[in-house]
Amino acid sequence: MSEIRTFPDFVKRLVIVVGGLVILLVVLFGVLVNTVPVVSEFNDVLLASLSNPGVMLAYLDSLGVGLNSTIFRIVVFPGFTWAALIAAEVIWFERKFLAKMQLRVGPLYAGVIAGILQPIADMIKLLFKELTAPARADKLVFYSIPLLLNAIGAALLAVLPVSEAWIIMRSDVSMLVVFAVIGFAPITVLLAGWASNSKFPFIGALRGLHQMIAFEIPMLIAALSVVLLAGTLDLVNIVQAQSSIWFIVLMPMGAIVFFCCLLAELERIPFDLPEAESEIVMGYQTEYSSMAFGNLQLGVYIRFYAMAGIFTTLFLGGWHGPMILPAGFEIANQVEWFTLKTLLVMVFMIVLRGVNPRFRMDQLLRFGWARLLVLAFVNLFLAILILQMGWFP
Amino acid sequence: MPELAFTVLAVMAIATAILALESKEIVYGAISLAIMLMSIAGFFILLDAPFVAMFQIIVYVGAVAVIILFTVMLVRREKWLKAEVGGLQMVGILGGLAVAFAFGLLLLQSTLGSVVASGEAVSFFEIGVQMISEYWAALLVLALLLAASLIGALTLARIDKEE
Repeated sequence: MSEIRTFPDFVKRLVIVVGGLVILLVVLFGVLVNTVPVVSEFNDVLLASLSNPGVMLAYLDSLGVGLNSTIFRIVVFPGFTWAALIAAEVIWFERKFLAKMQLRVGPLYAGVIAGILQPIADMIKLLFKELTAPARADKLVFYSIPLLLNAIGAALLAVLPVSEAWIIMRSDVSMLVVFAVIGFAPITVLLAGWASNSKFPFIGALRGLHQMIAFEIPMLIAALSVVLLAGTLDLVNIVQAQSSIWFIVLMPMGAIVFFCCLLAELERIPFDLPEAESEIVMGYQTEYSSMAFGNLQLGVYIRFYAMAGIFTTLFLGGWHGPMILPAGFEIANQVEWFTLKTLLVMVFMIVLRGVNPRFRMDQLLRFGWARLLVLAFVNLFLAILILQMGWFP
Repeated sequence: MPELAFTVLAVMAIATAILALESKEIVYGAISLAIMLMSIAGFFILLDAPFVAMFQIIVYVGAVAVIILFTVMLVRREKWLKAEVGGLQMVGILGGLAVAFAFGLLLLQSTLGSVVASGEAVSFFEIGVQMISEYWAALLVLALLLAASLIGALTLARIDKEE
């Protein structure tokens, strides 16, 4: 075979390899159909589902992995695959959009339209790179951090109400679950910096720790005012309480405080001190290579999606929105509004990244402790006032 | 199933507690402490009290364990290694076992075994109602304490500006 020089060459090679595998599998399938009863049953279902897709769904339901099963929800739709796809395309969008804002071109070659397959190409590249670690790194902790970061990002998806019907786990205290999961982030960042046994990661980790502890408290208090007005800790009920008016209209100050804290928790510009590229290379992610870095980035962006989703849930009315799909598609309409709002929040964060410089450490801490905390408390008193005066139905 | 979960959690809690004290690498000790505190949260979930469990995680893992790790990172390693316990360790272990044994005997002889759970978990709304009706004094003291610590934090944050 010829040498691979360009991305189209690479895609051709990929198609040849995958196509060969598919042909091999089909042949294998043909042999197994006549010998193993389970496979021949599956074959019957497959043939029947060509004319009527409902047969396939019923068969999957009987196996316990149908559309209504918890496994499907965790693995596919409101869960991991969905979030990972959004994360990958947000990475592409962020690069392209920032490039446009800064009069550059951005990703261009991978994929036919505007480099839309760049994240996929990057992922394949990362898969084939060498996995390295510093010689004196603590290997166990070092390699478990990317998975841990993925886990604490994906754990937030469990309580995220994408629509009335599509939620993985409904709980009376799902708001507290969110804050319990957010509380793990500083430990992960600190351990990543410590396990790398290298200067830049350690400085980045200490910065991340300072920042996350400082902004967790105003975030909690801003969310507390939402809980006060809605009278519940259940995120589904919080969304239902916003059917007539969104909380961002009632408490714009609380929404702003929560948004700033989100930016700081996600380490995005203007609060990206833990990974300030011009000062400390990439912060606590500096020493990671290959798919460990890929996992780390995936975890960061899944967390980005999940936190934007939580902002949507708390302040932007979650799945509520005018009916734009034809009647009968109520659930799809809810999912579409939730996704649209979440993506808008993410785009707004990316715009902020494009137009803002970075804070200094002392400015950041003063902003967190002396400004946002006070504003969060003022907002809490305003929420109590709204509740006492009966302005919120 | 709950018995199995209880056994796993209990073994995890005790093992990580021992590891937290005995580990040579102090950071591993801090991590095991965090895992121990999380298995305590697991006990609360087994007891049908997710509200308490989540607060256990938020306060102990999200705040206490982080502060401990933070302190560990900022202190030089040699200082920790110098602390020698020596022969007192055996005394401590025996003393701890004796106390645990005594508590076990006490619990076995108490009427705790005949208490029947009502089956309904106490909702956190009831906790809130109890807080403002029956235990209002404790709530007031807690609020004052929180306000004092908040004012203290704000003062500390403002000192930098005056310099």
